[in-house]
Amino acid sequence: MSPAVLICDDSNMARKQVLRSLPDEWKGSVQTASNGEDALKILRDNSINVLFLDLTMPGIDGIGVLQGIQTLKLDCSVFVISADIQPEMQNKVKELGAKEFIRKPVQQDILLTHLQQHGLL
Amino acid sequence: MSDIDKAPMPEKGIDQTLLGARITKQINIQIANQLNTGILVVDAQLTIIVWNRFLQVHTGKKSENVLEQSIFSVFPELPVRWLSRKLNSVLQLNTPSFCSWEQRHHLFNLPHTRPITTDSDFMAQNCTFLPIVTDTNDSYICILIEDVTDVCHYQTQLKKALAELAKINRIDGLTQIYNRRHWQKSLEQEYAKARRHDKKLSLIMLDLDHFKLFNDNYGHQCGDMVLIEVSALISTLLRVEDIFGRYGGEEFAIILPETDLSGAIELAQRICGRVSALALTYKEQNVKVTASLGVAQLGEQEQSYEALISQADAALYQAKAQGRNKVFSNQCSSTLAVG
Amino acid sequence: MSEFHLTEDQQDCLQELINIAMGQASDQLARYLDSFVYLKVPSIESVDAKELMRTLSEQKNAIAVVSQGFFGHEGIRGEALLVYQEGDSDRIADLLGYEPDDLSKDEQVIDISSILTTTFLNVFAQQIDNQMSYNAPKLLPNVKDNLFEHLQQMPFTWDIALKVNINYQVTDYSFNCNMILLIPEVAITNIKHVLNRILAEF
Repeated sequence: MSPAVLICDDSNMARKQVLRSLPDEWKGSVQTASNGEDALKILRDNSINVLFLDLTMPGIDGIGVLQGIQTLKLDCSVFVISADIQPEMQNKVKELGAKEFIRKPVQQDILLTHLQQHGLL
Repeated sequence: MSDIDKAPMPEKGIDQTLLGARITKQINIQIANQLNTGILVVDAQLTIIVWNRFLQVHTGKKSENVLEQSIFSVFPELPVRWLSRKLNSVLQLNTPSFCSWEQRHHLFNLPHTRPITTDSDFMAQNCTFLPIVTDTNDSYICILIEDVTDVCHYQTQLKKALAELAKINRIDGLTQIYNRRHWQKSLEQEYAKARRHDKKLSLIMLDLDHFKLFNDNYGHQCGDMVLIEVSALISTLLRVEDIFGRYGGEEFAIILPETDLSGAIELAQRICGRVSALALTYKEQNVKVTASLGVAQLGEQEQSYEALISQADAALYQAKAQGRNKVFSNQCSSTLAVG
Repeated sequence: MSEFHLTEDQQDCLQELINIAMGQASDQLARYLDSFVYLKVPSIESVDAKELMRTLSEQKNAIAVVSQGFFGHEGIRGEALLVYQEGDSDRIADLLGYEPDDLSKDEQVIDISSILTTTFLNVFAQQIDNQMSYNAPKLLPNVKDNLFEHLQQMPFTWDIALKVNINYQVTDYSFNCNMILLIPEVAITNIKHVLNRILAEF
């Protein structure tokens, strides 16, 4: 069974870029959110297995979403996909429970490798 | 490691592509050597590996003392700390960097060859630092040294001329103090400043007494001499921040920023006394000169700088009416005779 | 809406490209400056050029403007203006690791501007398979009086300007400036081609 996936990014293009890189069999069960507020709402109301999360967004940003997931004690694998690639930021998101940090622009082979590494494929 | 024209050539092959590559290479080398721009290539350790003829000619150095040497030992005039950091940015960020004669007249001590007199013995330079990455992933920096002595020379001349023009535009030709236009513009600014920051501001208007008589009795040259001498005297009595201008024929005006009425009156009295004590002679005749002065301080009621001029002007009129060689201010309602 | 304005998709695509460029540029800068560079999301506006000229010339507290031309393949070219306010540039020498007496204030502002502009535009160019060349950066004289004049005398006419507000904060120093990219109309058409090509891939 394919996992329930949420892609959260304020850029339409970036969301499409992630969607395009996903395994074909996952593509039927993907939801999207364009900001942190919507993402947290979807996460609360649905059981989402995998979240692809952008960091820099207006309003509640990616860090805020990660903190929300910790507070709500949700069981969800988070992959951060961001343009802010400095090592400090990468460490920070991992401390907040993200499985991996993936640099933008997302590349399919890298994304799939990470999903495999975490036993999702 | 080479002069550009001693770079190794592909030896073998009549093969067309090789021939093509060989011709292209020769063309590149000849262009590099005929360019009127210096080309210097250093590796990541800042060792010189290529230089072109322009530099060979202008430095007068021999290739064997330049190639494979550190750029800083070959050109000891280079600022080591700054340039190392700059070259480092080229290597690390893979971006070009620039150095213009406007900030640094020259980097390399190359004599210029101009017949024109310039301020420097050295060629003015625009330098460009370009990152070069080879297919073996080695990093180099190409330094282009452009001779801009002419640009520098004409730009400097132009700046001087413009500064001179700007000065002429502000200065009264006869007395060498500010002309009315510039003085009035300054008052407008000082007025705005005083209003904005709630600061004191005073004004002195000064008119030479019976000036017409100098011209009538001794001729206009005498009148001019008096104007010049009085202006020079008053200038010595002012602070740097005071703004002294020629308001009309024999009328002068002084803006006194951050000065209250009593300070302005004190100065006006000193000016009045010193002017009347001036020992001027014209064609061996003693010439006696006195001045009347009106003083005003900016108060609540003035809505413009023009209103302040009117206040000082009215006071000046009073000083004249009360017998001249006097200081008057409406604001302290008494004539202030000179002691 | 003029033909030079970007569609919503094009704007989104450009914003994303610029975010990525900015992220990589900050990373490179952080390594070069040996300090963490905190970066806010750059806000991007495409604005009417005449409108921008008015706003800029009204910006009375701008103390320095550095301009640098850039040009790449496919007719992508323009001019980057870096605008500094009072207090923005006080500690640039420290930031760049120069000794303060090594160089004048003007040179410091020019150096940091050139690094910011070229680092950012190089990465941006890579994103769109392009490569940039640059003119030497120039400090505009007497910005207070002459900015408007300078903008009017630019060697090409332009109808639209991309205003990218960059805010860099470097661990111990706060450093701020605005980067404004002025793009002439032909170049906008070319950028739109490139954006459409990228969008068509989805």
